[in-house]
Amino acid sequence: MAKATAIAAGNAGTGRIVDTDRPLVDEKLVLCFFIASLSYVLIAMLAGLLFSLQFLQIYPFANSEFFSPGRWRFVHTQGVAYGFIANAFLGALHWAVPRLTGNRVLSDKLSWFILFAWQAIVLATVVGVLSGEAQALEWGETPVWIDPVAQLGLILVAINFLTPILKVKGPMYVTLWYLIAAFIWTPLVYAMGNFLPEYVIGGSAAGAIGGLFIHDLVGLFVTPIGWGLMYYFVPIILKKPIWSHGLSLVGFWGLAFFYPLNGIHHFLYSPIPMFLQYGAVISTIAVELVVTTVIVNFFGTLVGRGDALRTNLSIRWFYIGMVFYFTTCLQCAFQVTLTFQKVIHFTDWVVGHAHLVMFGVFGFWILGMMTHLLPRLMKARDWYCNRWNHWHFWLSGIGLFVMFIDLMIAGLIQGFAWRDLAPWEDSLTFSTPFWKLRTLTGIAIVVGQCFFLMNVYMTWKHMRGAASTTPMPTPTGGGEPAIA
Amino acid sequence: MFETRAGIFLIAGFGFFILAFIVMAWVPIAIYQGEPELSVKELAEQGLTHEFIDLAERYPKQFKEHYGDVSEESFAAALKLGHKIYVGEACWHCHSQQIRPVSNEGRRWGGESYAEEYQNEFQRPVLFGTRRVGPDLIREGGRKSNDWHIAHFYKPTSVVPVSVMPRYPWFFDSDGYPNKKGFAIITYVQWLGSWHKNYPYWYNRGPALPTKTPEPPPGFEPTVDDEKPKTGVAMSDAETNAGA
Amino acid sequence: MAIIRRVESRAKRITLWVMGLLIIVPGAYGFAEKMRQFILTLNTEEGAGFTIIPIANYFLIAGGMACLFGWAMCNGMFGNVEEPKYTMLDHERELDEQDGVDWSKQ
Ligand code: HEC
Repeated sequence: MAKATAIAAGNAGTGRIVDTDRPLVDEKLVLCFFIASLSYVLIAMLAGLLFSLQFLQIYPFANSEFFSPGRWRFVHTQGVAYGFIANAFLGALHWAVPRLTGNRVLSDKLSWFILFAWQAIVLATVVGVLSGEAQALEWGETPVWIDPVAQLGLILVAINFLTPILKVKGPMYVTLWYLIAAFIWTPLVYAMGNFLPEYVIGGSAAGAIGGLFIHDLVGLFVTPIGWGLMYYFVPIILKKPIWSHGLSLVGFWGLAFFYPLNGIHHFLYSPIPMFLQYGAVISTIAVELVVTTVIVNFFGTLVGRGDALRTNLSIRWFYIGMVFYFTTCLQCAFQVTLTFQKVIHFTDWVVGHAHLVMFGVFGFWILGMMTHLLPRLMKARDWYCNRWNHWHFWLSGIGLFVMFIDLMIAGLIQGFAWRDLAPWEDSLTFSTPFWKLRTLTGIAIVVGQCFFLMNVYMTWKHMRGAASTTPMPTPTGGGEPAIA
Repeated sequence: MFETRAGIFLIAGFGFFILAFIVMAWVPIAIYQGEPELSVKELAEQGLTHEFIDLAERYPKQFKEHYGDVSEESFAAALKLGHKIYVGEACWHCHSQQIRPVSNEGRRWGGESYAEEYQNEFQRPVLFGTRRVGPDLIREGGRKSNDWHIAHFYKPTSVVPVSVMPRYPWFFDSDGYPNKKGFAIITYVQWLGSWHKNYPYWYNRGPALPTKTPEPPPGFEPTVDDEKPKTGVAMSDAETNAGA
Repeated sequence: MAIIRRVESRAKRITLWVMGLLIIVPGAYGFAEKMRQFILTLNTEEGAGFTIIPIANYFLIAGGMACLFGWAMCNGMFGNVEEPKYTMLDHERELDEQDGVDWSKQ
């Protein structure tokens, strides 16, 4: 296992020598976070699938209060955001931050505490929303009594990771910049979104804040961590430096200064003064431009190594995620125009957009990281069955893509039906075929995840079996060669 | 750390972030102190809705059991619980409460939304919504009868065969009468929009409405700069009814 | 063995600058425009409440970011901008080799 001293000497001029006996990365912790994340992804996706059955009038538990479809929709969004994405990010950060900085996180105990505390928070949220206690804030439905605890948790996470990062003296790699920003923004955004509309402001001013919150949660929590981790994983997997570090810094500082003020466009045409709504439109377009730098940089890196898309599944997850990211941003640029808003707001278009961002981009990146790291964390040489991972990729990829197109078209149809003053029932009958297809794609995605989970389990079991026959398993020599 | 310029920058930087945190809590409190925001009690004091009284008359035994007498207090209690259910059952994931000034929405539902109507405790956090599977509800009050709602909440497909709205049998007791939740959600839904100037222009209440001059739909004008209290009609209603 | 440092070709540096400018200038313009509108809204009666919180917070956070920028400059972080991308890979390789992961194979 990598010891901290070894790189302390070459550590970007830190000269700091950390405790030599303990490993730099607590791999078990990373593994636990990933397992937690994968468990939630299954629950959250099943919840989504369940809710989609309501749209086909075949909801299986129609008479049960506990299975009220609306409540399971909360489980879907909350499970994905806080169970799947947050856990996976925490795991990946516990891997990447110490390795990038050469310093261990502030405290291992704190990390383990965060692991358990976070699971408790997410579970309490699930129980809370299932018993009908939700808070009326999209993406922030966590019942009010959990909010302060979650807030404290976020601050602890920030301290735990900022300590090793700020110890770095020399020029800082761009990932660390993204992470610094994320750790500062996330607690602020969370406080803004969860406390202000609940306790302080009411009415449509709170609507403006709510829009900002949904937007910033994606833009200031998920996006910087996601891109930060991409800047770490893509080069180390390709074993090739990023195309231009300078350009990546341009992208970062652009985001840092331009991004935080967008988001009111989530409620265009609402009773929020119109000035503000125009403003939100313009600066969103500004952000698109910044995003372009990032995309250019990653594709610049890939030039000359395009074969990796074929040979390396993680890279394929990453780059398909980036393509989707660009699609999302392009969509944003149109969506924020008032013309588009007239039609698509409140329709399934928005739902498709949300799936593309959360799963198609960040979910795919996370799954790519897991595909790369999990065997190593389980001390296995390779996956139990690589073919299953390909199934996982193709089922998720095609499923998501079809779902996105399907919902986009459904959204347009709904929007025009409403505008044309068709009876409401019409918009339901028009949508039914699309909702059917949506459920099918949902099934494909869930099956894809099952392949992955099964693979994780089998790899682990295989490793166990191998460990009992070989007395001293080491990461490279021990485990029996996995079936590839 | 304090000696170097870098250290100062770093500390100043974090100082800014902490300040932002404080401002975020403090500034809005300072600004919105003067802003009138109606509490549930004040909303109830604006008058009971016709439909609330109707519920009490229709189900006297059940109503008495759950809410006691018809009064502002019981009305407030029902509204409050109704709002909680609306949030907790994710009605707001399928229904918006915001009528935009575009795409004929004003014509479909009557009266575009304006900022003041969100200045009350129930719009905290605001219930604009982000998805419309079912229709907008901010002008729902009085659009349908209580009976319709009872049938609809019990089994939406019984009144609208293509409906994809979930069933809510737990709003009803074992005999099929609305229970505490049932009264609450219907009261809440029937109250939405009752503050509106022309409330409800599509709904002919007959002679029980001496103060109201119904306006024809085509000439229907929304409202923002209207001077008379938005709730006047509902209130006078309730008085007449209570007196009757 | 460290990753080979290539001197960035001139063409690449120029591309970088041109692209950076092309992207940042309109971005900054759009943003400034929005800022102006926001601030104008501050003076209107109905708009003040909506805008003061986002604006105040924005400036504080941007101020914080500017300080971090200053901190980075004082620490010489922008001296050799391209260096970190190589050191990062070098470390990774060292760490991997301690774990027995072979970097010579792709
Ligand atoms: C799955 C999405 C969904 C959920 C959740 C949902 N509804 Fe609906 N609702 C609909 C649809 C679709 C319609 C239109 C068809 C119909 O009238 O049943 C509708 C219609 C309605 C109507 C009739 C509107 C009109 O004027 O025609 C009311 C009132 C209503 N819903 C209230 C509620 C309440 C209250 C809740 C929460 C307890 C709720 N809905 C939850 C989808 C939903």
